[in-house]
Amino acid sequence: MNWTFLYQTLILVLHGIPMTLFLTEVSLLFSVPLAFGIALVRKNNVAVLDKICAAYVSFIRGTPVILQIYVIYNIVPSILAVLFEMWGIDYPVYEINPVIYAIIIFSLSTSATMSEVIRSALATVDKGQYEAAVTIGLSGRQAYFRIVFPQALVAAVPNLCTLVVNLIKSTSLAFAMTVQDITAIAKIEAASGYNYIEAYLDIFIVYLVLCSAVEQIFKLVECRLKRYKSATI
Amino acid sequence: MLRFNTEIFWESFPQLLRYLPITFEMIFLSLLLGVILSLALVVMKLGKRKALRKFSNGYTTVIRCTPSIVLLFLVYYGLPKVVARFGVNIDEWNKLFFVVLTYALMSAGGLSEVMRSSYEAIPRGQTEAALSAGLTRLQTLRRIVLPQAFVVALPNLGNTVISILKNGALAYTIGFADMMGKATRIIAKRYTTYALETYVALAIIYWVICILIEQIIKFGEQRLEKRKIKAAKEGIG
Repeated sequence: MNWTFLYQTLILVLHGIPMTLFLTEVSLLFSVPLAFGIALVRKNNVAVLDKICAAYVSFIRGTPVILQIYVIYNIVPSILAVLFEMWGIDYPVYEINPVIYAIIIFSLSTSATMSEVIRSALATVDKGQYEAAVTIGLSGRQAYFRIVFPQALVAAVPNLCTLVVNLIKSTSLAFAMTVQDITAIAKIEAASGYNYIEAYLDIFIVYLVLCSAVEQIFKLVECRLKRYKSATI
Repeated sequence: MLRFNTEIFWESFPQLLRYLPITFEMIFLSLLLGVILSLALVVMKLGKRKALRKFSNGYTTVIRCTPSIVLLFLVYYGLPKVVARFGVNIDEWNKLFFVVLTYALMSAGGLSEVMRSSYEAIPRGQTEAALSAGLTRLQTLRRIVLPQAFVVALPNLGNTVISILKNGALAYTIGFADMMGKATRIIAKRYTTYALETYVALAIIYWVICILIEQIIKFGEQRLEKRKIKAAKEGIG
């Protein structure tokens, strides 16, 4: 075991944390509206769109993330090139920052799982709650935002926690797009000095700390949200 | 221009499907080893020893927080060096060994939780009733608790298989020759032209396998559910 290398790489790897967190945050941000859209379409059984969304969710959940990365990383530049040509935009497609592709992929793949989380969370709230809220004079919007969503959120928190942790874990695949995140830095360092164990132990610890922190935060949120729970009984 | 060579796309299927048995072998062995490991973990979780309980819960947390690619690299690059200290050389071992070990370790964490929760889902009264009816502890476990716990665990078991299948695609990074490994090699051989066609074909294969696994699990669930209802009607359940 090369301790100095272990320490030096750990410092280097720490510089990758902002990128990992950035990818996670931005992907989450984009996937929330997308997931809500899919969940509502599927909940209300909108014709045709409903089937498309179901197929989309099934496809994303049925394929490895690494393959999604390769497919999108190969297909989006060509589509953009065609579009740019059509619209007469003069922009070098192949010089787009790979971080953007990473965000597209992780948003798409997270939105599929998140739509399922939202759907199952909404299903836990009894229909009577909405009906009762409307009967006592709340508008549909108010009923959703004040009565249904807060209760659904309580049910969704544990699943959301898993989702965020899984997202952080899957951002480790961004190295396939040459994005410089934690894993990519460790891989480069490991290969240059043949110190594989040290480098991978470093990121093992970094991911452990990151994900544990996320889990702790969610636990706090869950405790705080429990006060809504008394309403469900 | 947007180009998609359909001929190469269709050609990819037989080429890739030839490696499907290796993928299945990997999943089966990982699941088998994973189940064995998780049995040990679940015994610790339900046991009385506090240290063992802490260890197995800690294991689950650590695994849940580790990206599978990091675990794969740790096992593949780390394990040979660790055992080399004890004078054992496993550098030349089949890559399947490392892949299976990785995904067994990975799935054991989640599986032990699945097993624990499904074991706890069976009311204690059932065990007590069986014991007072004269069954031994082992009989109670084998005939009363486990068959019911299995029904509860089945959907999650299906998810575990799917997650091994999907994460298993990463095994190509250590040079394991499964479908994904073959795909990367086909693409490299063609100097990365027609990469999209091959990847899309592979994605479809994975998708179909996942749907099949889901359907099998759903079918199994319905069968078991039906049997349960029938048993209840006849007054056995």
